[in-house]
Amino acid sequence: MSTGNLKDIVVNVENLEVTFDEKKIIRNVSFNVRRGEIIGFFGISGAGKTTIIRVLTCQISKKNWTGNVNVTNLSPGSKKNYAKILSNIGYVPQLEELNLYYDLTPLKNVEVFASCYGMKKKEAKNIAMELFSILDIPEDTWNKPLKKMSGGEKKRVSMAIGLIHKPDILFLDEPTTGVDAAKRYDVLSYLKKLNRRLGTTMFLITHDMEAALIVDRAAILRDGKLLEFDSNSNLITSLPNNGLVARFSIENLNEEKINIIKRFPNAPNIKTIRVGNETLEVLMDDFEKNLSKLIQFMMENGLKINAMSRDVAAFRRYFQLRIQEEEEKERLIRIQQDAIEEVEI
Amino acid sequence: MYLSGLVKKEFGRIKSDKRTLVLIFAIPIILIVIFGLTSGGGPTAYFNAAIITRDKELCNCYNSTDGYDDIFIEVVDDDCEAWGLFDDFESEDDDDYDKIFDKCVELLRDEIIDVFIILPDDFSERITNDNDTEIIYYIDGSDKQAKDAVEVALQEPIGKFRLEIGKTVNFTTMTPYLEYEVPFWESQVLNYAFATIASMLILGLLMNLTSLSIVSEKPLPRMLLTPTAKDEIILSKLIANTIIMILQVTEIFIMSAIFGLYCLGSLFELYLVLLMTGFCGICMGLFISAISKTEQVANQLYMMFFIIVIMFSGAFINIESLPLAMQIIINSLPLSHSIPLIVSITMKGLPIDYAHLASLALISTTFAVMAYIAFRFKKVEV
Ligand SMILES: Nc1ncnc2c1ncn2[C@@H]1O[C@H](COP(=O)(O)OP(=O)(O)OP(=O)(O)O)[C@@H](O)[C@H]1O
Ligand SMILES: [Mg+2]
Repeated sequence: MSTGNLKDIVVNVENLEVTFDEKKIIRNVSFNVRRGEIIGFFGISGAGKTTIIRVLTCQISKKNWTGNVNVTNLSPGSKKNYAKILSNIGYVPQLEELNLYYDLTPLKNVEVFASCYGMKKKEAKNIAMELFSILDIPEDTWNKPLKKMSGGEKKRVSMAIGLIHKPDILFLDEPTTGVDAAKRYDVLSYLKKLNRRLGTTMFLITHDMEAALIVDRAAILRDGKLLEFDSNSNLITSLPNNGLVARFSIENLNEEKINIIKRFPNAPNIKTIRVGNETLEVLMDDFEKNLSKLIQFMMENGLKINAMSRDVAAFRRYFQLRIQEEEEKERLIRIQQDAIEEVEI
Repeated sequence: MYLSGLVKKEFGRIKSDKRTLVLIFAIPIILIVIFGLTSGGGPTAYFNAAIITRDKELCNCYNSTDGYDDIFIEVVDDDCEAWGLFDDFESEDDDDYDKIFDKCVELLRDEIIDVFIILPDDFSERITNDNDTEIIYYIDGSDKQAKDAVEVALQEPIGKFRLEIGKTVNFTTMTPYLEYEVPFWESQVLNYAFATIASMLILGLLMNLTSLSIVSEKPLPRMLLTPTAKDEIILSKLIANTIIMILQVTEIFIMSAIFGLYCLGSLFELYLVLLMTGFCGICMGLFISAISKTEQVANQLYMMFFIIVIMFSGAFINIESLPLAMQIIINSLPLSHSIPLIVSITMKGLPIDYAHLASLALISTTFAVMAYIAFRFKKVEV
């Protein structure tokens, strides 16, 4: 998959398996990350996003995992690498209060964390001022206690602290959770800006599908398995018809009606996603050819279409479809297993 | 080592916690002022004494002309701030003694003198042979406050006398009270209060300060995602809190000197004992902080520890009469060492008791080591 040379690989994970209390939390996960990439880790709650990141950041003892993991060419499997790895990476926790001393000023916070990396005060201050100005943190707040700053400003100071020692890799846990809709885009664009200016590799753990806008590659996790690891556009074009969707507004939409659509004979591969109370999105092979037939089919079956539009699927749709597909697969496997068991009995 | 940055951070955090700072530095001042003013700013109470000496000077002591009784009389007359000598009487035989005694009782009743002291006939002899000797004093036992005050103040001439003659003879003071009936074991006013109050204040406030220092630090887990080691973090806390402790102890020391602390023994040794007590408080606080999961737990544990420490300080219970197991518990807590140490230095003018001091050091070390171990195994995760 990777075309870049080996030196450019900053994170390399092969066959990672994590076990807690005899329970497999992560199963056979492998991926590579190149320098300067922004990687998004997407997955519903409990998928194992945080767990993978915790392996990479030396927070899980080697007792609990197997596989080949390298972070900046050092393995977090060996305790003596911890200090080196930790000085090569930065971490921005989900809650700012876990990253910042609210009683101290932003510059004092910088000083504290810089000293944890053995940096000189002067050097740290220069880097901090650069970061603060990239992040538009008003200069008059630099010397005021953090608790007087707004939530958004705190978030940005927190990001600056994560980058204070110019790490190769920055891990961000849910950077947009708990931030209001408008500010979410701000946070994302600041991250992109930092990534472009500093060339820092970034890992975003997130539930927020909008984050896909800025990631170079997205990892989709479910139940400890890595389902996909590819760029946004590759993922979407892997959908039928490069992700073209028809969006229907259907009166009194319900499961029954959706099942009717799923039986559309011309496109056996048809996929449906309900995106609203009366709104349904449909993907299928041979989209252009089949669209009019589908509409006809729906009307013949008594479905009342109030409106229709065409669009290209966003990452959100892809994610939903991919998870649905996986659930479907698992359901089939379960049915098969049950059948086998019944035969055995 | 990233220690200096971490220590600075600790100071930043302590500084921003105004409530605790006020607690640490203002409360001792307030208490010392109150306590200093109510007790009249130290030994300003002035006692007029008569001394009857029956000393036969049956030895070739001190120098050929004076016996130790004369030295004692001189000390009371000249050296003691709280004492004045009304008169001294030498009794040659029993008849003589009876007459003088009656006269002194009269003086006492008429409140011309506050106390009369009797030196026994073997006074010089026993001191020369380094045997313990006794001093008998008669006071107006009906005035309880005066009685308490005299009892404490009597330590002054005794202490100064010891210094003068360069011997640490033990003196048994006896108050026969003939016709007065006030128990003589009542606690003492000024200095005894100092020993208890100062050590409780220092121990309690510092334990309070440090008991939150680990639990209340939310970014601590994040801190551990830097190359900083846990050892450095706990060491930085120990250092920062110790510096605060030194400041507080110094403040208490100076304030109590201004408000008339009556210290017969070495001031340096007193300072040392106060520092050791403070250090104990810090180590115990760190331990509490290391084993607590939340601030609330830490606060509760602190209260529990503090109450236990006070209950078993020995200030309220007579240790020697307790069963052995109890004595061991009491001896493994700091105040049962701090209070007797301070009492014997300030009031009795005795040299520092190294056994007690070593116990304090041992207690601190034990808690520091336990805090370290607990912190090492403490789960801290982002
Ligand atoms: N220390 C642990 N011991 C036992 N089980 C654990 C431990 N840490 C995580 N797990 C389990 O591993 C699974 C994955 O957890 P993880 O925190 O990685 O999920 P996540 O994808 O980050 O979810 P979220 O989006 O809610 O943060 C969960 O089922 C969790 O219960
Ligand atoms: Mg998580």
